[in-house]
Amino acid sequence: MTEKRIPHTDLDGLLGRLRERGAVYAPARDDAGDVALTQAPLDDPMVLEYRNFRLSPKAFFLPQSQTLLTFCDGEAHEPSLPDGETFLVGVRPCDAKALLALDKVFLDGDPPDPYYARLRETTTVIALACTRPMSSCFCTSVGGGPGDGAGADVLAVGLEADLLLRAQTPKGEELLSSVADLLADATDDAVKEAEKRVGAAESLIAPVEVDNSAQRLRDGYDSPCWETASQTCLGCGTCSFLCPTCHCFDITDELRGTRGRRVRTWDCCAYPLFTLHGSGHNPRPSPKERWRQRIMHKFRYAVENLDRLFCVGCGRCIRNCPASMDLRTVLRELGA
Amino acid sequence: MARNPYLPYPARIDEVIVENEARDIKTFRLVFEDPKSAVEFDHLPGQFAELSLPGMGEAPFGIASSPTETDYLLFTIKRVGLFTTEIHSVEAGTAIGVRGPMGRPFPWDTMAGKNLLIIGGGFAFTTLRAAIKYILDPANRSRFGSILVIYGARTPGELMYKDELTEWQARDGIDVHLTVDHADEHWTQHEGVVTSLLGALKPSADNTLVLVCGPPIMIRFTLVSLATLGFSEDAIILSLEMRMKCGIGKCGRCNIGSKYVCKDGPVFTYQELRTLPTEY
Amino acid sequence: MTPSHEIEARLRETAEELLREKRVDLFLGYEKATLPFRTTPLFLTSPEEVERLAWNPFCTTNLAVYLPRLFKAPASAREAERAPPLPTVAVVLKGCDARSAIALVQERQVPREKLVLVGVACPGMVDVRKAERALGEHEALGAGEDALGNIHVVVEDGREVTLPREEIVADACLECRAPTPSLPDVLVGEPVEGKDPDGARRQTDEFASKTLDDRWAHLQDELSKCIRCNACRQACPMCYCKECLLDQTRPRWVGTSTDMSDVTIYHLVRAFHMAGRCTECGACARACSMGIDTRLLTRKLGQEVEDLYGYRSGESADVLPALSAFDMDDAQDFLTEP
Repeated sequence: MTEKRIPHTDLDGLLGRLRERGAVYAPARDDAGDVALTQAPLDDPMVLEYRNFRLSPKAFFLPQSQTLLTFCDGEAHEPSLPDGETFLVGVRPCDAKALLALDKVFLDGDPPDPYYARLRETTTVIALACTRPMSSCFCTSVGGGPGDGAGADVLAVGLEADLLLRAQTPKGEELLSSVADLLADATDDAVKEAEKRVGAAESLIAPVEVDNSAQRLRDGYDSPCWETASQTCLGCGTCSFLCPTCHCFDITDELRGTRGRRVRTWDCCAYPLFTLHGSGHNPRPSPKERWRQRIMHKFRYAVENLDRLFCVGCGRCIRNCPASMDLRTVLRELGA
Repeated sequence: MARNPYLPYPARIDEVIVENEARDIKTFRLVFEDPKSAVEFDHLPGQFAELSLPGMGEAPFGIASSPTETDYLLFTIKRVGLFTTEIHSVEAGTAIGVRGPMGRPFPWDTMAGKNLLIIGGGFAFTTLRAAIKYILDPANRSRFGSILVIYGARTPGELMYKDELTEWQARDGIDVHLTVDHADEHWTQHEGVVTSLLGALKPSADNTLVLVCGPPIMIRFTLVSLATLGFSEDAIILSLEMRMKCGIGKCGRCNIGSKYVCKDGPVFTYQELRTLPTEY
Repeated sequence: MTPSHEIEARLRETAEELLREKRVDLFLGYEKATLPFRTTPLFLTSPEEVERLAWNPFCTTNLAVYLPRLFKAPASAREAERAPPLPTVAVVLKGCDARSAIALVQERQVPREKLVLVGVACPGMVDVRKAERALGEHEALGAGEDALGNIHVVVEDGREVTLPREEIVADACLECRAPTPSLPDVLVGEPVEGKDPDGARRQTDEFASKTLDDRWAHLQDELSKCIRCNACRQACPMCYCKECLLDQTRPRWVGTSTDMSDVTIYHLVRAFHMAGRCTECGACARACSMGIDTRLLTRKLGQEVEDLYGYRSGESADVLPALSAFDMDDAQDFLTEP
């Protein structure tokens, strides 16, 4: 595992080199003051101080609207897949880890999903360790951590004057060697400083008890807590659409004259129409069943089927729910 | 490289057969445009496929033909929703896309050497037709014991595959009993719900597996009758319908608990279903 | 302005009395949420639990949104036979929420006699996003209110930061014309005057003074943020349709994608269906996690209906909604010859 170091002052140079290879998305502040992954112009310095992005980076791999097929005069054609490289710089470890969950569905699933596979193949993820977690964060309880590089190709840790860069995958090794002239070797001091910073961040994260969640949710399937917890749910898709691991989708056709497309769009299990049959029967008729499905999918079904929790503890659903629901509450109630 | 799982095989509807008096059930006979597709589309009764009309959407349907019918695929479709209304309006010659085969078929290995009781109600008889055709094929018939079929519909006019039913009733190697909820003046066979015919025939549970497909209410009562007749839960095989999109275990809408109907089903034993939540 | 803790105490007393005397089956109010700047709706059925009820500057949710589902009409005659009797519901309402509740009564979605409207004179609620932006990269760990209504926040490094209320109050609250609920069964708190009741008109006029191209560009820029999560629709008390046109599939009027054409149609349709019905509570804008100014169009259409018919939604339970009524004197100059 290659470990290197780059001064903050040389970061623009690094981004410049990546731009020669492909599209680069890096943290930049928008007009409203939010930091987002942005394909910013060259002279915009990369922002290093931010909590996390409002939107998870999943849309880079599973676009919210994606053409699966095009139609022309009654014939279906495969769209050409993108082949240019994309670099995502500054993704938080929780969001990088979410990619491992999506991989389980879209790469390891039989058959693999060719659209996801191509975007995953052409995209390089450079994660930035978290130094300022929020009170809604609980990555350490779901198998992650502020300095966890799993899912990323390179993990960066911000130090006083440098970034420590750690290759996580062969793709990450290749990237670091391609810009070797910009990098210095990591010193012991740098490694120690990184450990200290990550450790300090870790200590700020409040734990949520999710050990053995699959078994506890099996036991709690008929708990009255689903009814009480779901009363406030408005049935919108905010939690799902902001979630870095939620991946349910719809497929619809569009046609204008003889041309059209089959398009995949994000969908959400909180919507009544999600499971509504043509006959009018709905296997999940009320918010109770729908809210339970969401929690069960993340903390039980995915564990049973794919041996992985489908929650990375990013807290987006908690911060953004219009009714301020908090999935940690129901997990605690069930002792999950 | 593996075939894009979202890309349908191009096919053509070469015949449309109206199955019932209400004219809301039609059988579509499909022929692949490329004979190679027919080879790749290697299916067994109990499986389903996604049919699509370009620009009009896609929907899953049980395959009503047996793989022993090598020249074509059959799909029997009731007009209920968006896509089914669309496909009911097309004529022979229309291009159609087919994705599949999908899902787990009836457990043919387990069924070998067993007597089979096949119970169908109404429109859900489609994959059971595929099963019967498959069993009756000369290459397969000797693999199974006795075959008893019970099929019911609301009225005589609502029974599907009428010519074949007549043919099966006339031949050896299969015992086919029909019933209708409401008989007309020409009806000479059993009158009453499926369970009343089942109760009258009292089939033996000995070395017998049951395939059941029908509307939920029929299934509920049939399960009670089967239990009375001594059938165990693992001897009863059911096929479920769920709203589906991708058909390949990714889009996340057809799960019942941790089972995906599109991949782990649509065929389940009653024993398996009992372990799942009742969200179906 | 009545202090929040006094209002909270009155709400608890009211709830305790109504539930204990079984005058209501359900008391709908607010409870502190797990994060600062937020409350979560509370469905209270037991008088023993009234201590959970909260009143603070973060009671943003328009609780009227839950009423239609509590009084949902049975889908069939068979369902009607088995349906339990309708509940009696007390609901905590700010000025805007009270207008929504009355509008729902006007549109016959909820029976007035089954409601106990617990109005609270509202000093304007904090917009969580404004508050979080005002803290920059700091995160609130706790938030409270002083006697003047300003918000005191403890941030993660232990410091206390004061946020002047008017800087972080929701836009809809700044423009509210009637922060004190009209027609409540119980009114809690001293009546409050609107801060800038002409604000809405002024902003609409300002927008209207731009060129067509600029208006369109602004709209497209704003809507390009949309992720089609439906939060604006779901948070809106007036969006109670059993089957929303935007969800219909036979035919499908709007595509499911986030292409600008689909997004634009989505928001235009919603705005048009709000004409003469929107009570300007701002729930749609607060629910939007992407910060879209969803009120821009609905506000304008509300003003159009007011100008044409002299009608404002939710101000009187006995008046027919503008789009349900016809009068020979109605303005007809928008009609054109065929």
